[in-house]
Amino acid sequence: MRRGRLGGLAAHGVLVVFCAIIALPLLWMLRVALTDKLTAYKLPPEWGSPDLDNFVAIFVEAQFHWYFLNSAVVAIGSTVIALPLAAMMAYAFARYDTGGATLRLFVLSSQMMPPVIVVLPMFAVFLGLHLIDTWAGLILAHLSLSLPFLAWLLVAFFQGDVRILEQAARVDGATRMQAFLRVTLPVTAPGLLAAGLLAFIISWNDFLFALILSGKPTYTLPMALSAFQTQRGVEIAVMAAGAIVAILPVFVLLPFMRRYLIKGLSLGALK
Amino acid sequence: MKRLLAFAALAVALAFAMPAKAQTIRILMETVPDTEMIREMLPEFKEATGIDVEIEAISYIDMHTKLVPQLIAPTGTYDVIIVDFYWVAEFHAAGWLMPLDDLAKRDGFDLSVYVPKVMETTGTVDGVTYMMPFYNYAMGLVYRKDLLEDPAEQAAFKEKYGIDLGVPKTWDEFRKQMEFFTRDTDGDGERDFFGTVTQAQRGDCVMMQSSNFLYGNGARYYDENWNPTLDTPEAIQGITDFADATMKYSPPGSEGFCFDEAVAVMTQGKAYSIITFNNLFATINNPETSAAGGKAGITPVPGGGLMGAWGWAIPNSSPDKEAAWTFLKWVESYDIAKRRALKGSAMTQTALFTDPDIVAARPEAPVLGELVATGNAFPVFTYTVQFVEEVGREINLAASGQKDPAEAAKASQEAFAELLRKDGKID
Amino acid sequence: MAAAVTSLARRDRRFGLLLTAPGLAALIFVVMFPLGFTVFTSFFEYTLMHLVHDTFVGVHNYTSIVEEEYLGEAVWVTFKFVLASVVIEFCIGMAVALALNRVTRFKNIYYLILLAPLLMNPVVVAQLWRMILHSELGIMNYLLGGLGIDGVNFLGDPEAAFWTVVLVDIWHQVSFMAILLLAGLSALPREPYEAARMDGASAIRTFIHITLPLMRPVIAVAVLLRLIFALKTFDIIYIMTKGGPGAATDLISYFIYRSAFFGLDLGRASAMSVVLLLGVLGLTMYLYRYMRSLA
Repeated sequence: MRRGRLGGLAAHGVLVVFCAIIALPLLWMLRVALTDKLTAYKLPPEWGSPDLDNFVAIFVEAQFHWYFLNSAVVAIGSTVIALPLAAMMAYAFARYDTGGATLRLFVLSSQMMPPVIVVLPMFAVFLGLHLIDTWAGLILAHLSLSLPFLAWLLVAFFQGDVRILEQAARVDGATRMQAFLRVTLPVTAPGLLAAGLLAFIISWNDFLFALILSGKPTYTLPMALSAFQTQRGVEIAVMAAGAIVAILPVFVLLPFMRRYLIKGLSLGALK
Repeated sequence: MKRLLAFAALAVALAFAMPAKAQTIRILMETVPDTEMIREMLPEFKEATGIDVEIEAISYIDMHTKLVPQLIAPTGTYDVIIVDFYWVAEFHAAGWLMPLDDLAKRDGFDLSVYVPKVMETTGTVDGVTYMMPFYNYAMGLVYRKDLLEDPAEQAAFKEKYGIDLGVPKTWDEFRKQMEFFTRDTDGDGERDFFGTVTQAQRGDCVMMQSSNFLYGNGARYYDENWNPTLDTPEAIQGITDFADATMKYSPPGSEGFCFDEAVAVMTQGKAYSIITFNNLFATINNPETSAAGGKAGITPVPGGGLMGAWGWAIPNSSPDKEAAWTFLKWVESYDIAKRRALKGSAMTQTALFTDPDIVAARPEAPVLGELVATGNAFPVFTYTVQFVEEVGREINLAASGQKDPAEAAKASQEAFAELLRKDGKID
Repeated sequence: MAAAVTSLARRDRRFGLLLTAPGLAALIFVVMFPLGFTVFTSFFEYTLMHLVHDTFVGVHNYTSIVEEEYLGEAVWVTFKFVLASVVIEFCIGMAVALALNRVTRFKNIYYLILLAPLLMNPVVVAQLWRMILHSELGIMNYLLGGLGIDGVNFLGDPEAAFWTVVLVDIWHQVSFMAILLLAGLSALPREPYEAARMDGASAIRTFIHITLPLMRPVIAVAVLLRLIFALKTFDIIYIMTKGGPGAATDLISYFIYRSAFFGLDLGRASAMSVVLLLGVLGLTMYLYRYMRSLA
C-alpha cells in the first residue's frame, strides 16, 4: 500500500515539475500581454498597471475573430476528413497488409520532404484549380500533412486486443464492415481521438502553407500573429495577447472532450 | 445517404465558390504604419475612381517567401506589390515586373520627383523604371543627445582622446565614442551600458547594418566596372570594426540580434547609439515607447550610410494592370504623398523633405533628406538575395568571433565574384 | 476446403483495398504532383528565372550537391538536432505519459497545461523565447544572475544557440510525444499488470518487463514520426536564428529553403530534397522491418 502511495506521489511530482516548466513561460506571456512593450522589457520587472488594451486591439484593429474562424474551419475540416480516411487505411494495413510495405512507405514518403519544396508545385496546381485563397484549398493542403502520419499511427491501435472482439463479432455473423464500424472503432476511440487531436494541432499551427496558399480572407492565426512582426519591431505585447486568445477556446473545450475520453476508456475495459 | 452526399457536394461547391466582385485591385504590403496611413485614405480613391482596393499586409520577414510563388504564376492574386530594392534586379531578370516608363509618359507622371539615389537603386534597372519608390529605410546614426551635452562626459572624453565630444562627423570619431561609452556602471564587473548595439544575425539583418561600417571606412562593395572590392584594406577594417563593435561594445547576444532586439536595448536606455533604419528614430525618441524618449538625435552615418527602400511594382501576373497604374498615380501624387508624410511616412520624393509644412511637423525631416540623398546601396543584380545570404554569413562568422575578419573578407570577395560571374557582370 | 480459404482471402483483400482507396485517392490528388514534380525537376536545370524544363542535366544537380560548401555542416547539425530532440523528448514524454496514466486527481489541469504549448504556433513560441532569452534584456539571464550564475549568450554563441534551439523545440513539442505514448498506454491490457502485482514485482521491473515490450509498436511509430517531423523543423530556425550564428543552427530544411527561395535554384533544391527523402525512406524501411518483427 505504501508503495502505491509513493508511486502516486512520484507521478504527481513528475507532472508538477513538468507543468511548471511549461506554465511559467506561459504566465510570463500573460504578463507581457497585459502590459506594453516598453514595460515588458524592463528589468528588474515592473508590474505597471495591467490593462486589457492589447486584447481589445487584437479584436478591433487586427480583426482576430476572422483569423480565428479560418483557423478553426481549416483545422476542424482537415481533421474530420483525415481521421476517417486514415482510420480506414490504418485498419487495412493492420488487418490485411494492403499494399504491403510499398504502399505504407509511399504514404509516408510525402511527409519526408521539406514543406518548402512541396509548396511551390502545390501552389501551381492549386492556382490552376482556383483553390488558392479558399478554405477547401488549405484543407486539402493540410490533409497532406495529417493523413500520412495518422495512417501510420493508427495502425498500432488496431493491432491490440481489439482483434479478439472483432473475431467474436464475426463469429456472431457480422460482416467485415459491420465489425469494423460497430466493434473496432468504438473500442479504439480514445486512441483515435488522441490522434485526431494531434492532427488538429498540426493544422492549427501550420504557417508555410497558409502563407503561400491563402490570401487575406482565408488567413489563419499563424499569419495574423506573424503580422505583428512589424518594421517598427516585434509588437510582442499584442502578439502575446493574440497567442493567449488563440489557446483559450481549446481550454474551454477540453473538459468536455475529457468526458468522452473517459467513456471510451471504460468501454475498452469491457470484456 | 444520397441526401448526405448532396449536402456534402453543396458544401464543397460553396467552399470553392468565389463571389464576383466590382472592379477591385489587391495590393500586398508590409506591416508598417505607412500601410495604415494609406488604408485610411482609400475611401477617397474609391470615390474618385470607383475602384475598390484591398490591402493585405504581411510581415516583411515573409514577403519574399510569399512573393516568389505568386510571381511565377501566369496570373497572380495581386495587382500591385511592394518590392524591396535589392530584389528588383532578381525579379526583373525573371521577367516578373512590368516596365512603367511608357505608362508614366502616357499619363504625364513625372518620375523625376524622386530622390535620384533612391530612384537609381530602387526604381530602375539598366535605365528602365520598374518601381516607384514608396518607403525609404535609409540607415542613420541614432545617438543619445543628452550624453553628448553632458559637461562631465565632455570633459572625460576630451581628456581621454584629445578631441571634443560632439555629433560624430568622422568614422574615427564614432569609433572612439563607441569605446568610450561602453562601461560598467554598477561595478559588478559586467558591462551594462553599451557604446552601440549591433544586429549581427545572419541574413539581411547583419548585411544591412554592417554595410554602414564598411562605408564608414571608405570601403565599397564593387567598383564602377562591377569588380568586387571586398578584400581591400578598408573593407577588412570595416569588418573588423563591426566584429569589435559586436563583441566589445554591444551587448552579448548581438551576434544573433536583428533590429527588434537591438532597438529594444536602445529603448530601454542601455546604449549610447545604434545605427538603424531612420523610421525607427520616431520609436526611439518617443517617451511612450522608449526610455530614451526626447533624448535622442539622428545624424547621417559618417562616411555614408546604407540606403534602402521599398517600391511599388506591377507584376506581370497582375490581373488588372490599368487599375493598378491608376492607383499608383494616385498614391504617389504629391498631394497624397504629402499627407502621408505629415502622418509620419517614410518619404521618397525630394520636395517633401524640405516642404515647410512637413518640416514644421517633423523637424528632423531635412536630416532624413540628407540621409536618403547621401546613402549607398548594396549592389543590385540578379543574385543580390544570394549575395546577402552568403556575404552575410561570412560577416556573421567574423562578428561572432568564429572567423578572422581578413579571412571573412576574402571569403566574401570570392562568393561575391562567383555570383557576379554567374550573372555575367564580370568574367 | 482450399477454395473456401482463398475466397476468404480474396474477400479480405478486396475489403482492404476498399478501405484504403478513399484515403489513397486524397493523398494522390494532393501529394502526387508535388512529389513527382520535385523528382522530375531534380534532373533539370530549373531556376526561378527560367521556369522551363528544357535543360536536362541528368545527375548534375546531385553531384553538385557534394560540392556545396556548407552542406556537410548542415547535415551534421541536423543529425545532432534530431538525435538530441527525439531522445530527450522520448524520455520526458514517456515519464509524463506514465505519470498521467498513474494519477487520478487533477487530470484536467495537467492535460490543460500539457496541451498549451502545442496550440501555440511556432512564430509566437519563437518570439516569446527570443524575448525571454534576450542576453541583455531577457528575464532568464536576469533570474540566473539572481542565482549567481553568469548570463548565457543564448542566441549569440554558436554552441549555446544550438542547444537553445533544441530546448525550445522540446518545450514546444514534447507534449506531442507524451500524448502519443499516453494513448498507447491507455490501450494496454490490465492482466499482465495484475499478475505482476500479485507476484510482488517492483514498479521498475514492471515497467521494463511489461510496459516497454507491450508498448514497442507504439513507441516505434511515435519515435519514427517524431524523427520525420524533427527533420522538417523550419519555423523555429526561420524566426529565431536564420541558421546562425555562422552555421550553428543551419538545419537541412532551412538550407533547402534558402537554396530554393534565395538561390532561386529549384533544380538543385529538388535534388537535395530527393536525397533527403531517400535517406529518410531508408531509415523508415529499417524501422518498419523492425516493427513488423514485433507484431
